[in-house]
Amino acid sequence: MKHKENQKPYLSLKNIDRFFGITKALQGVNLDIYEGEVIGLVGPNGAGKSTLMKILTGVLPRTNGEIIYNGSPEESYNARVAKQIGVNCAYQDLSLCTNLSIFENFAMLNVSHSMAPSKNWRNETKAEVRKLIDTYFPGSNIDIMKPLETLSLTDRQVVEICKTLMADNLKILILDEPTSALSSDKAQQLHKIVADLSAKGVAVIYISHKLDEIRVVSDRIVLLTNGQNKGEFYSDEITQDELIAHMGGASEKKERINLDFSNQPDMLRITNLNARGLNDINLHLKKGEIIGISGLAGSGQQELLQQIFSARKKKVKGIELNGQLSYVSGDRATEGVFQFWNIRNNILIANLDRVKGKLLIDGKKADQSAQSWYDKLKFRAEGIDSNIMSLSGGNQQKALIARGIASEADIIILNDPTAGVDIGTKQDIYKLLDETREMGKSIILYSTEDLEMEICDRVYVMRDGCITKELKGDEIDVPNLVKAAFIETEKKEITEKKKTGFSQYMTAPWMLPLITLIVIFAANVIINPNLMSYTGLRMKISSALPLIFAALGQMFIVMCGDVDMGNGYSIGLVNVIVGIWLTGSPLLGLLGLVVFIGLYMVLAALIKIRQIPAIVVTMGAQFVWYGLALLICPTPGGACPQWLSDFLRIKLPVIPLPIVIAGVAGVACWYLLFRCRYGIILRGAGNNVQALERSGWSHLVAKIVAYGIAGFFVVLAGLAYTNTCNGADANSSVNYNMMSIATVILGGCDMAGGVPVPVGVVMAAIVMNLINSLLTAMKMNSNYQTAIIGLILIGVLALKFLIHRKERGRCE
Amino acid sequence: MNNKVKKVLESPVVWPVMGCVILYILICAVSGAVNVRVITSGLKLCVFAMLLGIAQMIVVTSGKGAIDISQKYILTLTAYISCELMQYNIPLGLVMAIVVGMTCGLINACINVYLNIHAMITTMATGYLYYTVILLVSNKFANSPNDAFVKFTNANVFGINSMTAITIVIAIVLYLVLYKSKYGMNLHAVGQKREAARLAGINVNKTVITAFIINGALCGLAGALNAAYCGGANQDLGTTYFLPSIAACFVGGTNAAGGKSNIIAVCIGAFMMTLMSTFLNAAQISIGGQRLIQGIFIVLLLVAATKNSSK
Repeated sequence: MKHKENQKPYLSLKNIDRFFGITKALQGVNLDIYEGEVIGLVGPNGAGKSTLMKILTGVLPRTNGEIIYNGSPEESYNARVAKQIGVNCAYQDLSLCTNLSIFENFAMLNVSHSMAPSKNWRNETKAEVRKLIDTYFPGSNIDIMKPLETLSLTDRQVVEICKTLMADNLKILILDEPTSALSSDKAQQLHKIVADLSAKGVAVIYISHKLDEIRVVSDRIVLLTNGQNKGEFYSDEITQDELIAHMGGASEKKERINLDFSNQPDMLRITNLNARGLNDINLHLKKGEIIGISGLAGSGQQELLQQIFSARKKKVKGIELNGQLSYVSGDRATEGVFQFWNIRNNILIANLDRVKGKLLIDGKKADQSAQSWYDKLKFRAEGIDSNIMSLSGGNQQKALIARGIASEADIIILNDPTAGVDIGTKQDIYKLLDETREMGKSIILYSTEDLEMEICDRVYVMRDGCITKELKGDEIDVPNLVKAAFIETEKKEITEKKKTGFSQYMTAPWMLPLITLIVIFAANVIINPNLMSYTGLRMKISSALPLIFAALGQMFIVMCGDVDMGNGYSIGLVNVIVGIWLTGSPLLGLLGLVVFIGLYMVLAALIKIRQIPAIVVTMGAQFVWYGLALLICPTPGGACPQWLSDFLRIKLPVIPLPIVIAGVAGVACWYLLFRCRYGIILRGAGNNVQALERSGWSHLVAKIVAYGIAGFFVVLAGLAYTNTCNGADANSSVNYNMMSIATVILGGCDMAGGVPVPVGVVMAAIVMNLINSLLTAMKMNSNYQTAIIGLILIGVLALKFLIHRKERGRCE
Repeated sequence: MNNKVKKVLESPVVWPVMGCVILYILICAVSGAVNVRVITSGLKLCVFAMLLGIAQMIVVTSGKGAIDISQKYILTLTAYISCELMQYNIPLGLVMAIVVGMTCGLINACINVYLNIHAMITTMATGYLYYTVILLVSNKFANSPNDAFVKFTNANVFGINSMTAITIVIAIVLYLVLYKSKYGMNLHAVGQKREAARLAGINVNKTVITAFIINGALCGLAGALNAAYCGGANQDLGTTYFLPSIAACFVGGTNAAGGKSNIIAVCIGAFMMTLMSTFLNAAQISIGGQRLIQGIFIVLLLVAATKNSSK
């Protein structure tokens, strides 16, 4: 609803400046936010919309200006204050962790920031989340216990939006391009949510490049260009064309010229193509033609483009290709730009053969070629040597299109090339496409924006992996496209693939270690039946304890997405501290161990703050550990403290003590990571740091905690090791480094981070230990032992890869 | 002018050069004399860390956090092979060392690429395999180098040690390959973003495999030279160079996530690591103290150097 004449704004931004060095991102911008009003924020790319929103959410401090809340200026406005005032934002690039379940993603946001879990928080949160999704997006069928990675992009967007709606005191909701990934029925639901919220008095700021949508959703439209206010309009008082004119884009309606291509040769012909997500596709493309692929997002367009592109190298049944292909992606961040390079290299990379001398690249030729594209496309930059990341999205896209055309391919595939590109640049791009076709090239254009299809000669509309309609010439307009997009296909009933209990367990990450444990254990027992006795088990598991602890410690660091390359020597250092100091003067020893854990935490802080790769830092740190250990104990000596060996010698009834210790360690880690609230944060940190920080958690703290726990486990490993060898030696525990990494992998953890499997790791550590004794018992040449560990490692991972590929094949 | 100064200061070459200067001054201070011999012998000593460092840089640049930790085993294995074969024919030994190195690289790459196993884990596992091979051949193969080849490695060309000369030539060739050729461009593109590289029409697998093979070849060469330099092969030959080479690679500003490298900085980094051990030996510090200082120095240098490369 529109704000009333004399209504006081809930929050207002007054004369906001924001400078980055000499660039003036915002200059004197004003924005009044009234309760219950929907503001449509529009403007070309680089207008400063996202900068303004970052200031509003408190992520970015302002250079000058005032933020006035309830009539009084807020001096120290930051992310926390913004949260208190009730500002929430659903980001376009999603702040979700794919490794966490959907419910955990919500829990991350709304748990009070304390480490102590309340009793029933899991069930309470689950119920709340379920209710939320059912109320706002009825019929979305999202299972909140599943990991987020199983969801489609649309559903993820739904989760992201719901996450912001969950905030306790929602007063200002920012939706940043919310419908870019939503199907149109979901978009409709969203528009209804916006209306409901506005009726409840929540102010909504709606950012979108889709001007028709903006006019429907918002009450007031605020236009921003070049970091300045360019006017405010009431949505019912302005037409789309007027809006475009205000934004500086001429809204000229181009006369359609219908060209006849029937005499031109086929560049591409697809007959009865069936593939992943595609059903019986037939299409053709003539020389010099522009064809469009349209339809609701997620109807198989991406798959079709990928199939066509893959035909450039290997023969694909049903695709007949006569010429070279190039591909231009609109997903610039992940599929497009090379971030370390300047404009020149970004344009030339697909075209190096053209600028090559006999062996090397001809610098002069390369510059000329790049310069000619630079001039032609009127880049807004300092020159061809400007880094690509210093450009706006639209200008980056120009470079990518130039790359695609410069490659001299005959067919250019454009995958949503104008996503998030401002209107002026869009016009430039259309013109360029027209010129390209005049050069005799053919173009396949996929776009999420229906209006854009009007530049095509023919359009194929897709639904559910089928082409449902072909539109030609004058038939191509938005109403026809929309109508065609909703044509029902004979839907092959896609049965919800409910994983049966059995197959679900088979693919659980701890399954592989469990099976190997059983097999290896059985083999050991056959060779040496004594193993099954109380003493046999006690001895065996006792000797595995150092590796169990070392691997659990390694797991916490791997969970962060890092690797500890120095824990071989750090166990040696603990070994020395325990064997020399702790035995001699317990207080000094204890102090030494505490300082040691502290050093691990310092390491975490260094890695995070300076953004240094952990692998290198821990490798450097191993020298520090080794040096310290040698200083404490230059030659092997010392002894295990009496109390420690006494403790480990305790005989429990029925179950030997080492087994209890191993079990407790595994379960404790599992409880910490999967049942405690902070466990969610620790796991989330290994997956999506941004999501963590946007939810108000500190990544630095999470990392320090994880490394601290890792340090603690190194101490336990050192203690267990000291007991095993009953002495101190700085040098003898080096192997634990590689062994612990191998164990973590075998245990089912993901090296990319975020997926710890404590119970699997404990089992894997026992397996590693049993393998060695098995080989010794089999009188295997000791030379082969390392090779066998290597082979097992490769085998396990290869198996995992094959299982996953099969899995994925079945899902799609 | 100001811009130029700024550019120089932002170059990854700055930190290793500063490290070299500081260490040289320290060496002079400890030994009490300004000694040019430190530099000439350093240039000879640093050859191995330099070859491995460059090789590591190429692998790391291929992206996705790739790193080869089997380098030391490849070096040791090829050292044995060169010793054995040079009994019969020197060029044969040298060539076979390089070929075996390339084969090891190819194995690493294929497991990494086709089974989709993280490079670090792959090379850890294959490292175990190579180590077993080393253990098996170590008591069958000759382990003393060919005298003529030793003479060659000790010879001087225009006052420069021949090994140093070879390494410099290789570094120059690789400089051209990495920054002036199509392959180099492709490698850096693949290292930045594999998907984008694929869509730009680059054969990603081939590019990555080639990087590993070049790495293997350099390790093989280093193995053959090292066997001659150390007076024979032994089971732990490569271990000495593992850390200096990795340190050289990253101190030289190589981006750990791939896509950015500077071969000159890496070479200077390797030289710096050699000066460091010279200094620690000259200062007559206990082994424990040596390691401690080395560790702190590397960590601090990384903290300083990555400020530039993270940008």
